[in-house]
Amino acid sequence: MAVRAQVAARAAGAPEPRASAGLWSTAWYRLRRDRLTMIAAAVLGTIIVLSIGAPVLAELVFRTTFEKQDLLRTYAAPTLDPPGFVFGSDEVGRSQAVRLFYGGQVSLFVGFMAAFIQLTIGVLLGLVAGYFRGAIDDVITWFITTLNSIPTLFLLIIFAALFAPSPITLTIIIGAVFWTGITNFVRGQTFALREREFVTAARTVGATPWRIMLRHILPNILPLIFVLTAIDVGTIILAESALSYLGLGIVPPTPSWGNMLTNASSYFNRAPWLVVSPGAMIFLTVLCLYLIGDGLRDALDPRLKSR
Amino acid sequence: MLAGQYDVTPEDREGLRHSLGLDQPLPLQFVAWLWQIAHLDFGKSFYFNRPVLDLITERIPNSLQISMLALLITVLVGVPLGVVAALRRGRIEDHAIRVLSVVGHAIPQFWLGLIFVLTLGVQARFFPIGSMNAVGVDCGLCWDRFWHLVGPVTVISIAGIANLPRILRTEVLEVISQDYVRTARSKGLRERSVIAAHILRNALIPVVTLFGAILLVFFNGSLIIERVFNWPGLGRLTFDAAVTKDYPVVQASFLISSVLLILSYLLRDIAYAWVDPRVKVR
Repeated sequence: MAVRAQVAARAAGAPEPRASAGLWSTAWYRLRRDRLTMIAAAVLGTIIVLSIGAPVLAELVFRTTFEKQDLLRTYAAPTLDPPGFVFGSDEVGRSQAVRLFYGGQVSLFVGFMAAFIQLTIGVLLGLVAGYFRGAIDDVITWFITTLNSIPTLFLLIIFAALFAPSPITLTIIIGAVFWTGITNFVRGQTFALREREFVTAARTVGATPWRIMLRHILPNILPLIFVLTAIDVGTIILAESALSYLGLGIVPPTPSWGNMLTNASSYFNRAPWLVVSPGAMIFLTVLCLYLIGDGLRDALDPRLKSR
Repeated sequence: MLAGQYDVTPEDREGLRHSLGLDQPLPLQFVAWLWQIAHLDFGKSFYFNRPVLDLITERIPNSLQISMLALLITVLVGVPLGVVAALRRGRIEDHAIRVLSVVGHAIPQFWLGLIFVLTLGVQARFFPIGSMNAVGVDCGLCWDRFWHLVGPVTVISIAGIANLPRILRTEVLEVISQDYVRTARSKGLRERSVIAAHILRNALIPVVTLFGAILLVFFNGSLIIERVFNWPGLGRLTFDAAVTKDYPVVQASFLISSVLLILSYLLRDIAYAWVDPRVKVR
């Protein structure tokens, strides 16, 4: 693959990457030249930093907190006086900007953690099903088919209604519902890879099944798993915000992008700007994640690049 | 259920639990439920105290109106976009369509719905802000209904349109390089007939398999969109039932939406074998 990249790079008149460049450094080399992906990564990075730094930002820049109310200035239009109201204020005069950044903490946490959970379940089950085949595979496939025959959001809603969720339980619920896609993918790849010579070779020298799965098969599918994960984090953030909007995800007073919109939709006439900013944050974050996923795929495996 | 602060004696409580069958062990409840389902008896809603089947059959047409129209629009808009993207591959049209579909995927549906209601409904007062009919009007599928359908259908279609062209594009590119397309061109057919009769016909076959997935998108979408637009459909019913813990309704709408989904998969497989004779049912 490195050779292929060198040929491509030379054809493009670009400086060659190091002769011994491995998969990851070649990918990084390609990624750096992909302007759109780099912009998306920068925007996402900014959102993450602003969200993590929300308490500091609130204190030093906006001089308010996410629950401090100003009942004399409710529904304030976006203004720089005070700086906390750059995105306006809500129905009890709280700073929309500060709440947006705090909301980002929740949405991003749920997105990344749930993606991690579904990834763990998905990869393990996929490897096991694809490698051992037979009865284990049948059981796992049957489980996936059953889960897939129920619309995802219906499933999430019933779980969320049953266990009034905190961010942690919500994360676990989403992770437990979303893993089927990854499992299907890993299972298919494992099916194909287990017939390859290097797996037979490993088996001949006496490697245990777990060693073969984790050391020989997994590294071969890892790059594409990263791509899928980036896209899944976006999808999960969308699902979380939809649930929170419906009142079944993150519940007030903890702000999340979704539940800020629930409130906002009640004040269409008085404060239309309250509807714009939380949705725009969700959109921007998810868009960046999708673009990064696309860019990663092109960088990791140029053969898959959409022609 | 029914905590002590209401004027309810423990006997009343037990009586209610018994009449709803909630005092039975769970496995028994499940078997009893299966037995009822086998007789198409979905029980009575705790909340409405009406047969669940009636509630659901009332709502299904309302949801179908949205999803069928959205499907129609998705195909009408998505197919041409997919073909254009493939034929003008690598050019400005292709990139524009690609951007469109990524944006369409990333935009939260309910937010799009809210923005629609806010700008075109509340501010411009052009479209109604929700519900199925104007106050006092109930004329079935008439002009008023279509006017109310514009919002929800537009928002749900956008999700479909984000999906379809990307997949169709890949298929068209696959077909374009086939020998029979070269043959068709070399025998002097006009480009338009080559596209319609040779490329599109073959490229659309795999797209048929997509309808299950698109339906799933619509199902999920309906849950949110019916709430944004206050549309009394199946999604709305399920949501309300989940919130009020109206289990018979939740169970039934789960079952029915799953059955619908599986039926659509089956239909898809049959349709696939029908449009493509190369696929033999083994």
